[in-house]
Amino acid sequence: MVRKSPYVTRRRVLASGTAASAVALAGCIGGDGDDDDGDELIDPSDYDYEREEPDDEEAARQSTIEYTQELERDEDFDPIHSNDAYSVQVSNLVFDGLYEWDDGLGLEPKVATDMPDVERDGTRYLYEINEGIEFHNGEELTASDVAHSFMAFQEEDSVNLAQYEMVDSAEVIDDYQVQVDLAYPYGPWELQTMAISVVPESERESESDREEFNTNPVGSGPFVFSDFEFNEYVTLERNENYWDEPQPYLQEITFVDNVDAASRIGEIRAGDTDAIADVPNDDWSELEDDDGIRVHISESPSYMHLTFNCRDDAPTSDPDVRRGICHTFSMTDFVESRLPNVAQPLSAPIPPITNEQWDFPLDDWQEEYYPGYDPDQAEELLNGAVDDDWSPTIVAPGDHRGDLAERIVTRLNEIGYDGAQAETLDFGTLLDRTVYNEEPSPDDFQAYLLGWTGGPDPDAYLYNLYHESQTGINQAHFYEGSDSFHDDIAEARELADQEERYALYEGVMVEILEELPSLPAYSFHNTMASRDYVKDLHAHPMVQQNPRVVSEYGNVWTDN
Amino acid sequence: MGLLRYTAGRVVQAIPVLIGITVITFILANLAPGDPVRLMLQGQEVNQEVIARIERQYGLHRPLHERYLTYMGNVLQGDLGHSIHRDRPVTALLAQRAGPTLMLVLSAYAFALATAIPLGIIAATRRNEPTDHVSRIVALIGVSTPSFWIGIVLILIFAIQLGWLPSSGLVYPWRSPDQYGYSGYPELAYQTIRHLLLPMIALGTLQMATLMRVERTQMIESLQGEYVKLARAYGVPERTILRKHAFQVAQLPIITIIGLNLSTALGGAVLTEYVFNINGIGRLFLEAIQSLDYQLIMGITIVIGTMFVVGVIITDISYAYIDPRVTYGEHD
Repeated sequence: MVRKSPYVTRRRVLASGTAASAVALAGCIGGDGDDDDGDELIDPSDYDYEREEPDDEEAARQSTIEYTQELERDEDFDPIHSNDAYSVQVSNLVFDGLYEWDDGLGLEPKVATDMPDVERDGTRYLYEINEGIEFHNGEELTASDVAHSFMAFQEEDSVNLAQYEMVDSAEVIDDYQVQVDLAYPYGPWELQTMAISVVPESERESESDREEFNTNPVGSGPFVFSDFEFNEYVTLERNENYWDEPQPYLQEITFVDNVDAASRIGEIRAGDTDAIADVPNDDWSELEDDDGIRVHISESPSYMHLTFNCRDDAPTSDPDVRRGICHTFSMTDFVESRLPNVAQPLSAPIPPITNEQWDFPLDDWQEEYYPGYDPDQAEELLNGAVDDDWSPTIVAPGDHRGDLAERIVTRLNEIGYDGAQAETLDFGTLLDRTVYNEEPSPDDFQAYLLGWTGGPDPDAYLYNLYHESQTGINQAHFYEGSDSFHDDIAEARELADQEERYALYEGVMVEILEELPSLPAYSFHNTMASRDYVKDLHAHPMVQQNPRVVSEYGNVWTDN
Repeated sequence: MGLLRYTAGRVVQAIPVLIGITVITFILANLAPGDPVRLMLQGQEVNQEVIARIERQYGLHRPLHERYLTYMGNVLQGDLGHSIHRDRPVTALLAQRAGPTLMLVLSAYAFALATAIPLGIIAATRRNEPTDHVSRIVALIGVSTPSFWIGIVLILIFAIQLGWLPSSGLVYPWRSPDQYGYSGYPELAYQTIRHLLLPMIALGTLQMATLMRVERTQMIESLQGEYVKLARAYGVPERTILRKHAFQVAQLPIITIIGLNLSTALGGAVLTEYVFNINGIGRLFLEAIQSLDYQLIMGITIVIGTMFVVGVIITDISYAYIDPRVTYGEHD
């Protein structure tokens, strides 16, 4: 889970495992209620293409593809240490996960034969794995490799350690069974965390082995690491001995990057690459209208928010002031006018796709709690609560989030708060001013716009963005909350019973919507574009899963 | 003063300049808001111990002056540091990225010289004729249009609309054809040129326009010189006058401009590399700044600063070598 930096889009991954990874964005949006001719929002489900099958399977098996990523990879291909989404896009094809995502945010067994047996009140998990899986070096994948993959985060002091701190031990029962004990029950475990990539223990024994492994990884996945030029390209070749079905059609896939969006669009239009990631909002229609190009889109678990300074000395510590600000503009209109092709407005502190696993009553919450555009109500709430010369500063990165900040400020100006101002900052400065600011004054900011990307579990959002322990690390609202607010978030994290967690999260999210320490803004979609000869490509909600070139849900080949 | 002594003097003079560059860059980079480690790990659930370990690893926990002195000590031993963001030695990154940038800048200069000098001469010899007017307009547009914009327009026309040339990337002639899947070296050479054409023109247009204007002015001045009039009076053919008398004298300012414009070219390379997705030093520099990768910023600054200073020294020496009237500093 990671924040999106100004120069990057989705960069880091929360957990390094194949399925357990999630990337974060930074951003937030707002809008006015009546002054835009908003475009219609795109519905990603309209782009769920039918499955395709090649007429000539042999020809399909000769095909290759070049995929252009939107950011440079860190070139860390060892899943234990990799924490950028773009390296993980590569390593996901080299390694198999113990569990992997289905076509949404549900986990399904891959190396594991089934879902685990759970014992000891959710602190012991027993995994059985498939027999006959071979790593690319010819060695068999056994329970020992799975145990190693769980423990390596701690043993090797990985930067991903925080996501696996709850793992107490991983013991081999026999060649195909492993027992993982947790120090305490961990709510997201079954939904996300246990989906580690399985790495071969024998290839990673010494420090020098691991260094070599990081740039020449050996997995058991459908593709074999073939050629690599630092910061230029990575080429993977089909694993001819892949143990699972479907067997990949593609003979070869090459990953390159192009960080400049305009140049990337130029590449796909000129046919210089086969597929690109991340289609900007403004280029969507042009690509969609191009007969030689097919656009792909999927909802994603990204979450943008407008967060307020709730410290006592800030006027925004008053919930009426926060609600008043939120009533000055319409989030829906902003998204419709500014990001209609790539985002959807939110009504709760989790994205809709996350809610597919939980079924919280988001529509009811939208109606009951979410502050819509209502300037009269805004004036009423703000009058008396703040001085006439109130001059709040809203800080944001200088992209669409800056546009939102400007829009909110314009609306505040319109109802008489002429001192309101929007300030766009580079990402380092923004973080210093907000998240890493130990004692932010009202002059530093009264609201900021950032974002986050999680996964199927609300913990990813609620713990990192709202729990008091994350102040100064991931957020800076200093919201004290009700007596049980922070305790409930922490408790839900350490519960294995999902129904109990549901109840706790429901209360927490309703409080967030009522008290508005931050306003849920919108969720970005994952987008891609490919030449029309690229077949059976489907966008996945998790950015690090794209391009998903071989799975139960798609098997890409090129027909050119 | 001999050429060798003159050169040594210029090199010694360059040392404080380079030290000044490193001090200013080091201070500015470190005073910039943001923490490189947190930027690197942003958004992750990370232990404070992990952050502290990384800070210790890169010496970020030590005072600024101490870090600077340590850094400069390492630089003197040829160690430009370690990139925090990329976890690679800065020298290795620079070595990898230098080739594409040099290829781009040198080809842009070659393009500029190959077009500017003939056009400048033609404009000068046909002063106030339509050819002159056209060339001046071209020069004006070239000087006033940023390289990245020219690049985007070129991509739009030649890559997207016409499909004649690739829109991005370079093919490196020093690599094996197999690496690109080409049939052999002729195809490698062909593809190298195809890929280089658009970025070369995008970056070289500004240089071309600048040089052309200077060339035209200098040629006009030269053609009006007393020695040219004398040659004409002696009946020397116009072609010989142009080639032997006017042209040579007119090239001296060109040499100066080439040297001094090196910084402009490197600056233009940053955006050109971005637009054409070229993995050169310019793009690396931009990304280093964005990620507050101090040691990488310093390493690139030192290399570019050194290149610029060396370029200026070479210009001075060339100038003195080519024009006998320029002395190495002794008094007449």
